[in-house]
Amino acid sequence: MSTILSIKKLRKEFGGVHAVDNVDFTVDRGIRLGIIGPNGAGKTTTFNMIAGAFKPTSGRIEFKEKRIDGLKPHKISQMGIGRTFQNVRSFKGLTVFEHVLAGNLAHNTRFTPKAEQYQEVENILEMTNLAEMRDVTVQNLTIAYQRRIELATALATKPELLLLDELMAGLTYVEIDKTLNLLRHINEEMGITLIVVEHVMKVIMELCMHIIVLNYGEKIAEGTPKEVANNPIVIEAYLGEEAEYA
Amino acid sequence: MRNMSNKTDLVGKSPRATIKVKSRSLIIIGVVLIILAVIPQIASDYIIYVATIAMLYAVLAGSYDLTTGYTGPLTFCHGAFYGVGAYTSALLTLKAGFPFWVAFPISGIMVFFFGMIVGYPALRLKGHYFAVTTFFFAHFIYLVILNSQGLTNGPLGLRNISPPESILGISFKSLQSSYYLIFVFGIAAVVFLYFLVNSGIGKILVSIRENDELAEAIGINTSFYKVLAFSIGAGIAGLTGSLFAHFFRLLHPTTFAWMTSEMVVIMAIVGGLGTLFGPIIGAGVVTLILELMRFAPELRFIIWSVALIAVLIIEPGGLMGIAGRIRGGKK
Amino acid sequence: MVFQQIINGIIIGSSYSLVALGLNLIWSITDIPDFSQGGIYIIAAYTGYFAVKLANVPFPVAILLGMCAGAAIAFCFERFLYRRWTGKGRIQLLSAIALFFLLANLAILMWTAKAKFFPTYLPGSVSLFGFMVSYQRIVVLAVSAILFVLVYLFIQRTKIGKAIRAASQDREAAEVVGINMSTVYSMVFMIGGALSGTAAVLISPLYSVFPTMGELPLLKSLVVVVLGGFGSVAGVLVGGIGLGLLESLGAVYISAAYQHGFAFFILIIVLLFFPRGLFGKV
Repeated sequence: MSTILSIKKLRKEFGGVHAVDNVDFTVDRGIRLGIIGPNGAGKTTTFNMIAGAFKPTSGRIEFKEKRIDGLKPHKISQMGIGRTFQNVRSFKGLTVFEHVLAGNLAHNTRFTPKAEQYQEVENILEMTNLAEMRDVTVQNLTIAYQRRIELATALATKPELLLLDELMAGLTYVEIDKTLNLLRHINEEMGITLIVVEHVMKVIMELCMHIIVLNYGEKIAEGTPKEVANNPIVIEAYLGEEAEYA
Repeated sequence: MRNMSNKTDLVGKSPRATIKVKSRSLIIIGVVLIILAVIPQIASDYIIYVATIAMLYAVLAGSYDLTTGYTGPLTFCHGAFYGVGAYTSALLTLKAGFPFWVAFPISGIMVFFFGMIVGYPALRLKGHYFAVTTFFFAHFIYLVILNSQGLTNGPLGLRNISPPESILGISFKSLQSSYYLIFVFGIAAVVFLYFLVNSGIGKILVSIRENDELAEAIGINTSFYKVLAFSIGAGIAGLTGSLFAHFFRLLHPTTFAWMTSEMVVIMAIVGGLGTLFGPIIGAGVVTLILELMRFAPELRFIIWSVALIAVLIIEPGGLMGIAGRIRGGKK
Repeated sequence: MVFQQIINGIIIGSSYSLVALGLNLIWSITDIPDFSQGGIYIIAAYTGYFAVKLANVPFPVAILLGMCAGAAIAFCFERFLYRRWTGKGRIQLLSAIALFFLLANLAILMWTAKAKFFPTYLPGSVSLFGFMVSYQRIVVLAVSAILFVLVYLFIQRTKIGKAIRAASQDREAAEVVGINMSTVYSMVFMIGGALSGTAAVLISPLYSVFPTMGELPLLKSLVVVVLGGFGSVAGVLVGGIGLGLLESLGAVYISAAYQHGFAFFILIIVLLFFPRGLFGKV
């Protein structure tokens, strides 16, 4: 299996605070990777660096063997990385159809969009179960729907790698199951590599093939879900303070 | 700057990404066009002048909407681009001996590139800095025009600008024929803007307005498109300025002082940002009322400042926003 | 001759600093570049002028009246307008510009475009380094200096001043701790209005009173705010006087016609290299 993404000695400092400190890992093409860790561990900051929203203080990020750290977000998106945001971002005034179309148009900009482009958008709407809402204005929808729309829009950009930041936060178990199926489909049928940041353990355990654990900006563990779940360092990181009072 | 992430605060409650011109609106547009077409045949010279000003401002407001309404950044220098276009065209014909039909496109292209040179660095500015800078820029252009005595005659202004030369046997010396030239230009400009705004490019611009960060994250080069919209808007303003110069045949720096930019902003907001036709209608309404009140000049500007504030309080989406509310909004 | 220019530069610069101090406070706490201060400047100047011309009040009272007029108008604008649009920065900016436009045209309407000459209140001058400097000019410097010190002390020592400083660092944290933001906002606008009003009345005897007198000071002060850095009293002082000097000396040695354009150049250069302002607090 080839490596699609490699992170080498990645560091990010914000005025003296090491949000991410010396993180290394590689991602094989086609896997589902999870990144977990207590709040403030540096997960979103890492995502932001991969996606180009932040410039690393030092270190290298390589995507498909090309160096991408420090590039602008739109360039990184054009190279094949898609992402969703932790606090949902959306084009509030657009309809669902227009929203997903924006993702498609961004990667195939034409004065008059081709019929195939509209069809591609339809396909994604079908796949993500949004077809019925196509003409609804996004700002009128709940957060759960807006998350799905964000995911659909990211899919419309035809990514090879998808970064999902707490996609499942606040969803009911039913919604989580549906989304898990969707993610498995995206990964297995469409071949998109997934990196998922999550707090919902069910999701991590069921979805991910490999997990990386961060704490205070450092990588403290890596392995299969089972290995990580039984790793005493990981357990302490999550339960640390409580164990002291126990 | 927490205030600045929200660029949709000036768009009405039911913003539209695509303008669908419905049959009802088509009828209204048709009526307006017929009235405009007929004016030179039946109305007095004075009314012809007013209608010309209205059409020129309509194009200014529409092109302004491309940047501020559709893409997002608030600018206060549209009047400056108008002025640069006017003076460029006038000087090309007066001092360099170019015919109007060459000076006209050159003005547009020059102001387009001028907009690009200004926009590229300026659009990187965060928060309110960009808007404030455009305000300064407009004032600065006015200073330059005022002080380049050798070139622009400064406060004395430029006179004896020639009308467009005859083409295809049509002479533009008369008031009526000049009017029709501007009328045709106005239609062409609006049609161009309409197709641009409804195209794939237009949708990308709207995405940038709706959420700059997300647009960037899905692969849109937001800097490029912001500069593009700004430059196209500037270029159209430049072309409009050229027509102004050759219609009124004299130019004076105060015509392009910051108040002109301010009036364009007022027209666009009163009409409704982000709707193309809103600012155009706004231009018509404001010009009309300004003329009705011509006997009290200072009162006119006071009324419009108050009107702008009233619009911001009641319905920031302007007239189009009110129309949207009446129609019940999108569910 | 150079000395004359330097003095003029420092004096006009100190008036920029005054207005900029107020603008700085307002902008750094409320995110609103308050263009209406330019209009308030105009109204305060006319207030002072009429007080002296019609009611024969002594100059210090005229200053106080200008100060109060400024504070009152700014307070009203904040309370009845800006407050409606919390979180909508662009509407606030637009309304600030509209208010400036409104006040300037109101002045033209009510008092005609002709300049009015402020009667000399303190005739005579003193000899400084062999040059004559009028007492009135020295008053401008003195009053500005006093006000700067007062505002500085107010912000550093009083309870409300501390609240303002807290708010300028982190609005949300300040609210959580129990600081009443609406009081802070009102206070900050009133101080800004008072400062603009004072600057206007101070300058009137030197350069006469006319309806468009607010535009240039407003623009210059905006540049000083960007230059001097948000939240920095010293920066505003230095920036203002620096700009005044540049304009004064530049008018002689570089270009008289573009005297007012220097501010624009400075702004462009600063923002080109520091898109987030000199102190990066945007």
